Amino acid sequence: MDRPIAYDKLAREDRFMRMRARRVAELKLEQGLPPFPDLARRESIKERVHGILVGELQAMEGAGRTVYDFPDAPWEFTLDMARQVWDESRHVEIYIQLLEHLGGYAGEFPETTILWRCACAEDAAARVAGVNRGLEGLACDVFNQLIHIARKIGDPIIEHAVDFVLADEITHVRMGSKWLNELTKGDPERRKRAIEFQETIDERFNLGGLRREGDHEEVPISIATEARRLAGFTDEEIARLIKTTQRSPVY
Amino acid sequence: MAQRLAGYLSVDESAKRIRHYRYAEERMMRVMGGWIALTPELPAKLLLGRQVWDCAQHADLWGKRLPELRSRAQVSEPANDLFVRFMDLLESPEEFGQTAERLVGIYRVLKPHLLAVYEHHLAHANAVYEPPTRRILQRTIEDERRHIAAGRAILTHRLQRAGAHRRADAWQGRLEALLVEAGGVTGEGIAHLAAPEISADPDGVTGGLVELEKPVGRWPLPPDLEAAVEAHARNVERRDLAAAGEDLSPDIRAAGTELYRSLLARGPDRHEVVGVAKLGAHRLIKLRLDGPDGAVILASRWAQREGHWRVAEVEVVRIEGSNPP
Repeated sequence: MDRPIAYDKLAREDRFMRMRARRVAELKLEQGLPPFPDLARRESIKERVHGILVGELQAMEGAGRTVYDFPDAPWEFTLDMARQVWDESRHVEIYIQLLEHLGGYAGEFPETTILWRCACAEDAAARVAGVNRGLEGLACDVFNQLIHIARKIGDPIIEHAVDFVLADEITHVRMGSKWLNELTKGDPERRKRAIEFQETIDERFNLGGLRREGDHEEVPISIATEARRLAGFTDEEIARLIKTTQRSPVY
Repeated sequence: MAQRLAGYLSVDESAKRIRHYRYAEERMMRVMGGWIALTPELPAKLLLGRQVWDCAQHADLWGKRLPELRSRAQVSEPANDLFVRFMDLLESPEEFGQTAERLVGIYRVLKPHLLAVYEHHLAHANAVYEPPTRRILQRTIEDERRHIAAGRAILTHRLQRAGAHRRADAWQGRLEALLVEAGGVTGEGIAHLAAPEISADPDGVTGGLVELEKPVGRWPLPPDLEAAVEAHARNVERRDLAAAGEDLSPDIRAAGTELYRSLLARGPDRHEVVGVAKLGAHRLIKLRLDGPDGAVILASRWAQREGHWRVAEVEVVRIEGSNPP
């Protein structure tokens, strides 16, 4: 197998429809729809849950590739990534069932592959910075908000299941912070490149200002300050993220 | 009394044996992890995803045992070059249509072999001075039994396609021949090993995974769109390029008709809707068109134009030969 594989080798059953994120957003805007599903209606919650499902799928695939792609990385790093594969596989099963709980099915909405592209970074340090800190950090924001909405609409199934997933994601962010430091020890250039990669991902997933600081019910994606602190993000990093959300390019 | 202290392997031999086990477990774990992205079917994808961590723990347990046997921690060492070649061959099926080969390699060849070796080792390891090794063997044996049962349940489901059994058996034969040549994971031969007994998915854990592959049933399409898609597919099957072109939105008609011209040349005579996704009021529809030369999987976006459903975008997702790898 190639190390890494070309990003377009990502294999899917035929029921999944793959489309560029930008194209999905364009087609929604053309129809007068928000580019990213809100959490105001059960149908849009279902679409958001579907987006999370394919994200978890790609996270499992990305962690699996990290296990394969870096045979010379420290063994403990491989162990952490293998553990993450197992965690993500559970998340996929959880979100498939949550989707069914909401009356949906896998493949009901198009799949975009931004997350997978980020998981194809050639440097292990960039991959953990981008995926474990950037994307899993985003997952903390999205899941924290979903738990709040589930509680509000009286859906304990979603609330409890997603709460366990959030606990795992916090662990994955911690792994990312640990390995970003370990893998770049004594190599400030590599660390700088990895952090820059994470920042491009943070910026991209600010979704043109959809992610920002604010009440769960007021903003499309609210930044989970507390969960991020638990995950090991510093106050300075959280403040910087909030600041970048105020100047993101239009998605 | 002295017989209770009779030995099977010396300390150095034990360490060497464990480095061989670790090589197999570590490499298998990495290969399974790498395959997840290359495997399209959800049940097989999740099966691999569930087990990578167990395999990593096996490699870790063996690696931690090594310094207790006067050897360096976490070292993997293949028994010989032939075993490396065996693992290279096992790793090689990475194409979209080779899930069966991937599963055969792991669940019919490598894991059953490791299980047989571990059981033999456990039966002979000294109960007085080798409990640390025996504990690891007991754990790995239990996991391998569970993994094989789950893997075989998924594989059985996968092999229901015509001709799949023959291909799987042939692949298994190639791998087993090389494994025998290598003398197994230890390099010491495999003739003395008893074939392990595997019960059929004792915990029923794979039931939920196989369920994931169940068809959606009737796709949730509005009746007028369902009729339009059906009529469009029939136009393609009749090789009526003009009618198929009329189903396309005017802005893509010229380019789309060219694409259909090449499709029609393949002589598709059967069709099936294999995916339906919502994009606002638009619908993304995946059609599988089968013919004598194989299948074309076509993705199209349907939107309403002046009261009629029309194809607004279309692309070929994949072409399969009549004898997929």
